[in-house]
Amino acid sequence: MSKPVKAQSNQKFGVYMKKYWQLYAMLALPLLYLLIFKYIPMVYVQIAFKKYSLMGSIWTQPLAKNHGFEYFIKAFQNNDFRYALKNTLTLNLLDLIFGFPAPIIFALILNELCFTRYKKVVQTIAYMPHFLSWVIIYSLALQLLAPNAGLVNMVIQNLGGEAIPFLNDEAHWVGSYIGFGIWQNFGWGSIVYLAAIAGINPELYEAASVDGAGRFRKIWHITLPGIKPTIVVLLIMSLGNILGGGFDRPFAFQNNLVMRVADVIATFVYRVGIKGLQFSLTTAVGLFQSVVGVFFLLMANWISRKLGERGIW
Amino acid sequence: MKKKVLSMLLASAMALSIVACGQSDGGAATTSTETTGTDATATEQAQPEATAEAESAGSSELTDGKFADTRSITVEIYDRGNDGGSDPENNMYTEYIKKGMLEEHNVEVTFKKVPRWTETEDINNLLAAQEAPDICVTYSYPTVLTYADMGGVIDLKDMIEDYKADTPNLWAWLEDTNMLWDKDPKTGSVWAIEGRRAEQQRIVTFVRQDWLDALNMKAPTTTQEFEDMLVAFRDNADTLLGKDASKMVPFSTSYDIGWRANNIITSFMDPKITDKEYYINGFDDRMVTEPQTKEAVRLLNKWYNDGLMWKDFALYGSGDTTEDDMIKAGYVGAFQHNWDYVFRNGEDSINANLKRNVGEDAKFVAVDCFKNADGKYAKWLYSTAGDRKIFFPTTNDEPLASLLYLDFISKPETIKYLQAGDEGVTHEVLESGAIQIKAAEGDAIQNSGKNIDYTITCNGTYFGDWDLANLSIAYGYAEADPELVDAANKISLADGLEPINVNVGVIEAEAGVGDTLSSKRDQIYDNAVVAAAADFDSVWDSYMSDYLSSGGQAIIDERTAKWAEYFGDADMLP
Repeated sequence: MSKPVKAQSNQKFGVYMKKYWQLYAMLALPLLYLLIFKYIPMVYVQIAFKKYSLMGSIWTQPLAKNHGFEYFIKAFQNNDFRYALKNTLTLNLLDLIFGFPAPIIFALILNELCFTRYKKVVQTIAYMPHFLSWVIIYSLALQLLAPNAGLVNMVIQNLGGEAIPFLNDEAHWVGSYIGFGIWQNFGWGSIVYLAAIAGINPELYEAASVDGAGRFRKIWHITLPGIKPTIVVLLIMSLGNILGGGFDRPFAFQNNLVMRVADVIATFVYRVGIKGLQFSLTTAVGLFQSVVGVFFLLMANWISRKLGERGIW
Repeated sequence: MKKKVLSMLLASAMALSIVACGQSDGGAATTSTETTGTDATATEQAQPEATAEAESAGSSELTDGKFADTRSITVEIYDRGNDGGSDPENNMYTEYIKKGMLEEHNVEVTFKKVPRWTETEDINNLLAAQEAPDICVTYSYPTVLTYADMGGVIDLKDMIEDYKADTPNLWAWLEDTNMLWDKDPKTGSVWAIEGRRAEQQRIVTFVRQDWLDALNMKAPTTTQEFEDMLVAFRDNADTLLGKDASKMVPFSTSYDIGWRANNIITSFMDPKITDKEYYINGFDDRMVTEPQTKEAVRLLNKWYNDGLMWKDFALYGSGDTTEDDMIKAGYVGAFQHNWDYVFRNGEDSINANLKRNVGEDAKFVAVDCFKNADGKYAKWLYSTAGDRKIFFPTTNDEPLASLLYLDFISKPETIKYLQAGDEGVTHEVLESGAIQIKAAEGDAIQNSGKNIDYTITCNGTYFGDWDLANLSIAYGYAEADPELVDAANKISLADGLEPINVNVGVIEAEAGVGDTLSSKRDQIYDNAVVAAAADFDSVWDSYMSDYLSSGGQAIIDERTAKWAEYFGDADMLP
């Protein structure tokens, strides 16, 4: 680059910043958040490789055995970690299979409704569960589904049926867990798709109508392709999260009868790390989780680019 | 252009983060110099120093038990979050302590509350943040040990001896037994002082007297009679509960079967159990690894499948009130729990609620019906020694002032005041001289029974005088019928088994697995109880093998080895 061009671009930058500095000032706060809560704590990832003590500086603490990999080895020898790993994968995959399409289908259906007021009411109601915490949702689930005192089971029993162990049998529990997950999220998740649908050029629909396409043809050939990039981006992000997932949902839903299918990495880390004080072990688990997550994310991104989509990079 | 701005911004964010990280190391480095005496080896070196200091400054620091300049300490206090309770950090009792400490020792006391039901987690956080109170108390010794290993706890071994003369009340109340309960037999370290239990009663069985009366039944005296009674409750739900018949729960329990069916489990135990076997399996106070426990649970499994037990018990966690609400509403026929459970909390007690919700006659009474192979109503008692663990984190700069605090709250008159409060406000003195506790209001409310959260060196009725305590025990519950309390007290002590203390130092295998194992233990119990009768054995065995391979077996092996190391092939303690 020659000097005059640089000077020019510097000048441009000044003008640009003068115009937009408020936006960047607004951005500063979230960036600061990321910095303080996401980047600075990364310094402590080294706990995974050290014989960690709460007292004193982590920089001076000795390396764990096996060149620092003692706790990774221990983790993979730990029954509970293996269960947790398996359960995390299973539950997240099920969430992906059943939970991922739900908001898309809901958005498509909403989009086909022609009574605007009705549509808005439905939409609002569908968003509501998103604002409930999992603790509340679990209390609702108990009130509805508990074998003895749950409303649903009381009805079933009064009709002469046997109580269904929605929450206290492993297979049923998985169903309830996934079901409540979908219920909480499908309305909120559909917002992004509705926005994408709104961005589709209406002329396409008109043209299709002229050509004699029915509703399903239009959905299949116009709406779905129109929101495909959005779907792909969200899919990539969910795949990046395949070993992650929140803490509150499994934690709220767990009980002793289903722990073999309900204990996930997040709750394992809480129990063993925070309550059991095995910080190094659980940091190792957390690090493993993140590394696998990044791997999945990159892979999904790579595949989507190979398939001709934009991906997120 | 836009890209360039963005990259600049990102770069500056990077730079900032690096600077910030630098600062955070800087911070860490300074804290590390401040707390150099804190890794395990350093602590041991640091201790003699502290003692030397203590010896040189020693008792001369105190004149008439008082510091020349005012010292200040912080003390952990449990927050039970009771509805309408008093502020744990600031009430009539904290005022008494603050005033007393200032007058007698010139020490200013500040209380720091920690939620009772998550005390371990909360103390962890405080210790990690170097903000733990100077005097910490916990029920969990493994927590203390973990921090001691990290160099976060003061070794009291020399200090308690050096200041013995300054803390006569502490030594008089706790005696060597509790002061040195945790003394390591090899290194001599004392990481914690143990509180003392003034009451030993543990768990009894409660049944609804009015239901027995309604069905013309006598109180059960054997396991079989107890089962027959449950069956009668179930079959007569319509008579007993009318339109609420479907809510009938003959026998109620919680996820914590090992506690809530403890009388039954204990009755299956071999009465001739050796000290060795007791010790080896004793790491779990719910006795899940005792060989006969499985048969006890098989009985529960039968009851569960016969519809005699609460179906939802495993779905509610610790601290949930659903079961209590059900009991208070009058749907439950029998349960096992702490010996005074139905009398606790005055007007909100179970029996007071029943009286209001169900009727004048409705009440739970304690019964004794689970006989062991020797025909005894065996049940475990609490040991009089070794209760709550009191420890000083290394951030405590005032160990002497802290010991003086412990001395102050161990004085008979302090204990009396904290337990009984003011006459006319929290208690009345009966003609016999006994102290009758009455419902208090506002600042005078005791958030815990007998204010045990403040009397951390004393758990249970003492009033500073054993005769008075014995006389008063039946009157210790506001709104409760003294006769019922007295009966429950007697039953809870009948044929009681005294736990033994085996001190063979630290069991390495127990470190860090306590929580995992106790939650796995509950899983064994819960899953076995709800299993189909035909699957009972396979469910029990599969959960048990998971329990053992997750650290249970390692503890059993290490305990076996330690026993052999200290006692050879003897079966009993010398």
